[in-house]
Amino acid sequence: MSWLRTFVSRVSGMFRKASRERDLDEELRAHLELLTEENVRQGMPPAEARYAAVRAFGGVEQAKASYREQRGLPLIETLVHDLRCGLRQLGRSPVFAGVALGTLAIGIGANTAIFSVVYAVLLKPLPFRDPGQLVRVFEANDRAGLSGDACSYLEFQDWHRLNHAFSGMAAVQAHELTLTGRGDATVVRVGDVTADFFSVLGVAPAAGRAFLPSDDQPGGAPVAVISDDLWRDRFGADPALIGQSIDLDKRSFTVVGVLPRTFRFSFFEQGPSRQVWIPIVQDPFFGASAQMPTVHFFTAIARLKPGVSESQGRADLNALGAQLWPRYRPGDHGWSIRTASLRKAVTGDASAPLLLLLAAVGLVFLIACANVANLMLARATSRAREFAVRAALGAGRTRILRQLLTESAVLGLVGAAVGVAVAYWGVQALSGLLPPSLPRAESIRVDGTVLAFALALSIAAISLFGLTPALFASDPRLHSTLQKSAGRGGEGRGRQRARDLLVTAEVALAMVLLVGASSLIRSFAALIAVSPGFETRKILKAEVPLPRFLYSTPQQWIAFSDDVLARIQASPGLEDTAQALPLPLADRRLNMAFSIVNGPPLPPGRIDTADYVSISPNYFHVLGIPLLRGRTFAPRDAMSTPRVAIISREFARLHFPHSDPLGRQLIFGFPPETNTKREIVGVVGDVRDAALSQTPGPMMYVPFDQAPFWGIGLVVKTSSSATAAREIAAKVHQVDRDLPVTDIQWMSEAVNASVSQPRLRASLLGVFGAVALTLAAAGIFGVISYSVSRRTHEFGIRMAMGASESEVMRLVLNEALRLALSGVAVGIVLALGLTRLIASLLFGVRATDPSTIVMLPVLVTFAALLAAYVPARRATKVDPLVALRHE
Amino acid sequence: MAGNKDDILRGTLDLLVLKTLDTLGPLHGYGIARRIEQVSEDLLHLNQGTLYPALLRLEQRGWIRSRWGTSDNHRRARYYSLTRSGRRQLAQEAESWQRMAGMIGRVLQGVEE
Repeated sequence: MSWLRTFVSRVSGMFRKASRERDLDEELRAHLELLTEENVRQGMPPAEARYAAVRAFGGVEQAKASYREQRGLPLIETLVHDLRCGLRQLGRSPVFAGVALGTLAIGIGANTAIFSVVYAVLLKPLPFRDPGQLVRVFEANDRAGLSGDACSYLEFQDWHRLNHAFSGMAAVQAHELTLTGRGDATVVRVGDVTADFFSVLGVAPAAGRAFLPSDDQPGGAPVAVISDDLWRDRFGADPALIGQSIDLDKRSFTVVGVLPRTFRFSFFEQGPSRQVWIPIVQDPFFGASAQMPTVHFFTAIARLKPGVSESQGRADLNALGAQLWPRYRPGDHGWSIRTASLRKAVTGDASAPLLLLLAAVGLVFLIACANVANLMLARATSRAREFAVRAALGAGRTRILRQLLTESAVLGLVGAAVGVAVAYWGVQALSGLLPPSLPRAESIRVDGTVLAFALALSIAAISLFGLTPALFASDPRLHSTLQKSAGRGGEGRGRQRARDLLVTAEVALAMVLLVGASSLIRSFAALIAVSPGFETRKILKAEVPLPRFLYSTPQQWIAFSDDVLARIQASPGLEDTAQALPLPLADRRLNMAFSIVNGPPLPPGRIDTADYVSISPNYFHVLGIPLLRGRTFAPRDAMSTPRVAIISREFARLHFPHSDPLGRQLIFGFPPETNTKREIVGVVGDVRDAALSQTPGPMMYVPFDQAPFWGIGLVVKTSSSATAAREIAAKVHQVDRDLPVTDIQWMSEAVNASVSQPRLRASLLGVFGAVALTLAAAGIFGVISYSVSRRTHEFGIRMAMGASESEVMRLVLNEALRLALSGVAVGIVLALGLTRLIASLLFGVRATDPSTIVMLPVLVTFAALLAAYVPARRATKVDPLVALRHE
Repeated sequence: MAGNKDDILRGTLDLLVLKTLDTLGPLHGYGIARRIEQVSEDLLHLNQGTLYPALLRLEQRGWIRSRWGTSDNHRRARYYSLTRSGRRQLAQEAESWQRMAGMIGRVLQGVEE
């Protein structure tokens, strides 16, 4: 065990160095004095005695050096020494350190922040047991171009019962119900699930129990599991709640469990986060429709058996589908059962824009590294003499390399630390900007994985910017450096070329980023410039859901709507009002199948659909949607009169291209009016109801009085902005003071919110583009400054020979221009190759727009010249006398 | 095997130091150096300074310990003494040296015959 003892004492030998050094000094001095005295005793004169003693002792410093080596751990001590040395070097040139650290912090910070979003949304495993085994099961029909994600409850039960590949399967669908009892009535998100839902996910409730198979039986006792925040907000985290009952739409449910605080099922994150989960069969509204084979609104999730792959699971389901289709979709062909990993289903289409951001920020990182590498190269050149001296004093090549790398490492790690702080701040800032539709946004944070990423990034940075200068700096021709006259230590051609190459690369990468950013920004501008087809200014919207236990008949819904509309219309501050469900650009849309009476026969499997809206007569007037033909709805269109409909221009274009739609009949409607004929009485302008970026699809409108809903969506025209919202709520509460008024918002804000994703993309990419341009300009500035300082002598001679200031200026600017133009050229070629990748994210513009291809190079070149101007001016101020005196 | 010779020298020096402290009791560095010079009759041409790293090494292994004390002429000096494990080490080393010396002696005799 003596090696362990040695190690311990060596480690401790690295500390308390000063006192150990004093001891050593004293011991050796005592030794020498004793030896000298002995020599004197033997008759030597004192001076000679001392000399003889020193000779007999050998080199005092050598003894000390080998003593120190024995005392501590030389490898670690060298490292510590290099680290200290590196920190000192950084402190000695604060401008260099500041610029390099700032650049690195931005590069690493921005990447870490974006990565934390990408990681949380795309990469982090879902917070369920063995999430890799979880899939979503859905139906699709390629022949009809349908990828309907929902199945009927009866189909689901067959899948559940007959499959061989899955250890569990559950169905889920969500809607909203009114919770009453213990305080005000409130709207909660209700998840209708089958009993296996939580066990398939592998989630155990924090208190109480989850559902049992017996809960799925019709006629069983109604039970509910509630979310943690509902339990806390509404019930004050009362542990005695379990076993008590709550009311959903006046149906009583016994609470049997509370879910863990972290539980999120991101499919249904829109709407209130306060959730109640109940068995499908117990749902006061949908429970009955669960038994209907034509009601397709359940999402199926399933867990693969251990060792079964997703494709095996799919094959199993397809075999099953072959047996079942004749029963569930008789006469319909082309249907198949598909699966997708649950993670992909949750992530949806969020991945392309996020990966674009990650790629963009990756380019910023590369530019930052190139910039720092350039700074390091310049520094290494100006420190050539220092290294030559070190080499002359006996430092080996590896020792110098190690010192350089350690300095780079110090820079990289300090940069990473600052970068993590930047990222932390960036994540805070980002989470305020993220669109609410981004899935799993709640799990974005700077955690261990993200920190590991930052560390990996800084190591990558260190090897990128640290190695290049290190390799150049350990030039074997060190002695030649020493021989050169002071000050203008020569720079090899190779190093010069490396610096130019780095800057060219920076400019090229910045160019790529700018092309991407400008495409997205122009695309966003085009998006918000597009007319949604309706008036958005001075329009306030609000929704009022009606609890169905109080308002159970269509007559009640119509009476409520009429009452509220009349009261608002009569209010002096509110100008004009109407109502519609669903409202345009709201988060839901009703796409409904229809058929045309005496229309052309459709190929089998094809179904025509259009967006369905139920409106009050005044709706088109309030929203300024033009009536193109026929008439709008009138109060006379009621339950007792023949059914009527109004179609959009796109509907008419698609389905009545050569004939007059007015007077024709359509068949569509909600149960029980699915087979009702409705006469087309008018054609109105198109509306972008799904998203600003989507060209308007066919739409069909029906009068609310003929097709009422249990709730209303108000649109109110008003100029009195401040009080209007309160006034609307007051009018609703005059009718029924217990009703919640939700989603009160200006229509213009709603339009803005609907483009929050492209806005965020465009602004982030814009910021990255600006950062990239700044970094590239800084790179040009660095290279030109350095080149000017190196050519001081040359400029002096030129000016002494009669060159004018503008000629010298031109000489310097030409150098910058050459770098910028080659970077721009390479950048454009790269950008053109990469534009295909972002084509899917663009709206109304093309990345290869000629204005982009002309404007950006001009911008970049101008920035480069601007950056070169300062050093160029310095070059013109060179005093020939001073420059020549250097010689 | 570069450094072989150094290893042998180092081992020899260690043994000499341990033996010296065993024979004479606690001593300061100078005393140890003097003693080694005397007994080895300058056979080992000792650079006295190299003694100190060796002393530190032995101390790190726990074979000797050091303590500051006062020398005969009232000077502060660092005194080294043998520890129990040092004594054990000395016995071991001495035995293996003797065995080695005996073997080498036999080999050399064999060569002469």
